[in-house]
Amino acid sequence: MQRNLISRLAIAAFAITASVNLACGQAEPLRIGAINPFSGPLALYGDEVARGYQLAIDEANAKGGVIGRKIELLRGDASSPPQGIAAVDKMAGQDKVEVFVGTYISAVSNAASDAALRYSRIYWDTNALAGDLTERGLPNFIRSGPYADSFAEVSVAATKDLLAPALKKDIKDLKVWIEHEDSIFGTSIAEQQKKLIEKMGGKVVGLGAHNFRAIDLTDSILRAKATEPDVWIETGYVPDGSLLLRTMRDQGFKPPAIMMAATGDTFETLDALGKEYLEGITVVGYPRPDQTEAYGPGAAAYLAAYKRKYDREPIAPQGMTAYVGMQMLLEAITAAGGTDMEKVRAAAAKMDKPLNSYATGFGAKFDAKFQNTRAFPTVIQWQSGKVVTVYPKDAAQPNVKLVNVPRK
Amino acid sequence: METFLNILISGVLLGGIYSLVSIGLNLIFGVVRIVNFAQGEFVMLAMYATYFCTTHLGINPYLAVFLVAPLMFLFGLAVQRLVLQPLQNEPMMQIFATFGLLILFENSILALTRGQAFSLSGGYSSVVINLFGLKASGVRVVVFLAASGIALALMLFLQRTMPGKAIRAVIQDRQAARLMGINVERTYLLTFGLGTALAGIAGALLAPIYTLSPYIGGNFILAAFAVVVLGGLGSVPGAYFGGLIVGLIESFSGYYVDPALKQAIWFIVFVAVLVVRPSGLMGQVGAEEVGLREQT
Repeated sequence: MQRNLISRLAIAAFAITASVNLACGQAEPLRIGAINPFSGPLALYGDEVARGYQLAIDEANAKGGVIGRKIELLRGDASSPPQGIAAVDKMAGQDKVEVFVGTYISAVSNAASDAALRYSRIYWDTNALAGDLTERGLPNFIRSGPYADSFAEVSVAATKDLLAPALKKDIKDLKVWIEHEDSIFGTSIAEQQKKLIEKMGGKVVGLGAHNFRAIDLTDSILRAKATEPDVWIETGYVPDGSLLLRTMRDQGFKPPAIMMAATGDTFETLDALGKEYLEGITVVGYPRPDQTEAYGPGAAAYLAAYKRKYDREPIAPQGMTAYVGMQMLLEAITAAGGTDMEKVRAAAAKMDKPLNSYATGFGAKFDAKFQNTRAFPTVIQWQSGKVVTVYPKDAAQPNVKLVNVPRK
Repeated sequence: METFLNILISGVLLGGIYSLVSIGLNLIFGVVRIVNFAQGEFVMLAMYATYFCTTHLGINPYLAVFLVAPLMFLFGLAVQRLVLQPLQNEPMMQIFATFGLLILFENSILALTRGQAFSLSGGYSSVVINLFGLKASGVRVVVFLAASGIALALMLFLQRTMPGKAIRAVIQDRQAARLMGINVERTYLLTFGLGTALAGIAGALLAPIYTLSPYIGGNFILAAFAVVVLGGLGSVPGAYFGGLIVGLIESFSGYYVDPALKQAIWFIVFVAVLVVRPSGLMGQVGAEEVGLREQT
């Protein structure tokens, strides 16, 4: 009798264990690893990008997740390429991460995506800018956001369509000075800008390079001042951008229009220069939630969700681009029915959404190198200490007008 | 002509920045014989301290200098006494220790600020002195005047006062100075404190010019080391004029050659001076060898 009881108990215990295991198997979450700087000088932006991912994941989880599984975001801290590789190794090996996303730093994306390939994991990049990332033809690499050439294209298009008419000049009569920090980031954008402006018949009166850690940039400003440009375009980081604008002010250099690319649209620049000086300066940057709903459907909802979850305004616009990138990734995983590298790539290749499908105004159509050809930055302008989307015209709110061009 | 003069002015004012940062470094380098890698971070800490004084305590940055410099002096005393003095007979370890301090200070500020850049955006940073079309930023003129005043005051201090004479004696020969009854350890303490206080003054006066980041100290220090070696080890006028020379070379080469090449050009001049005159332009001949000699 007793033996019978024990054997029954053993069978029951086995059945319970098996059913728990089965349940666990069903509930196994889909783990996505975010490779970004979460410590170090760029942590602020790495965090912001991860917040964008989290908001998209929260949205998907509220609808039951994807392919029947809840999604979980894991963070892999990487400020340098070796850290990127280490983070991928750890997350793919120990944490069972199935897909990687990133990256605020292009050099980290380069190394980390290569490492992810060793584990046959997709590396879905939402934010890295360097052009050569897609040129490598890595079979696991897909970029959903804009890149260096898109920034150059939009800055030149806005110079032609927005600034030239405000200056009452044709692009062919426009004198442009292009200033850039001298690493590959600034140089590649500046060279592309020069090529595009000259192709349109505009005159590039100078191409100036500077070190972003320079203590003094008076020489760069005096060189530009001597050419009397109509438009002064700059690509760089926050400290050198602020130093250039300060030196410009000190040296009495007042180009009729100023445009900055990639940085210059955050409170750090406002803090350094003050709202009076910034009035009218345009910045080519990641799309912002203040654009029209027709251009970026869901932008207002993103802003509301951000404020609800984090109880503050977004720190930087990179978050919304990351949010949209994560939405596209989840769509690709759903279409692929899983996270297999080949299948997700095949699903991405089939994506065909027109512009203005997402909150950022992006569409989704990947070229042969898996660069999204329907992802573009927008142009904002500083107006009374606030950044306001002014270009493309259908992204700008109807009551928004360009101010202080030419600069007083 | 106007452009030439504007470049000349900007070169002199940039030289003032280099001089201000280099004088403290040179004092420590010349007397305590420590290659203080953390000197740029002392400047950085002083910049953040000034930012804090201005934004949280409402003190004008030019008044904050009277609070920040004494605090940095005390901080320098503590670093010398607690970190460097115990390693006095291990010169290599002292260098590693200052490098460790560099990493510590940078990362502490990084942890506190999360890498966010700060700027002092008061009206004083936008004051421009405009004379017959020649323009000079007010905040940079203040730095230049302060560097000139400090160089002069420090020279008088070293020439005329007993502690100053003790410092000069230690520069010349540590052992002989000890035999003459000079308390070498106390002289080191005083010198390191003084060098740190000078970094404090530099930080306070530079805070209104730059966007603050935890790594900003490194932007100054490469040039400052070149200035110290160019001007002459332990020589206050050497650091002052060395700073001006580097500033002028940088400004003229940046405008007339290429801004991307200006650092390379002043390093060529730096190497050329070292080949012709290894003790630097105003250093005591042979001092560079004393610097290398192991002293006890």
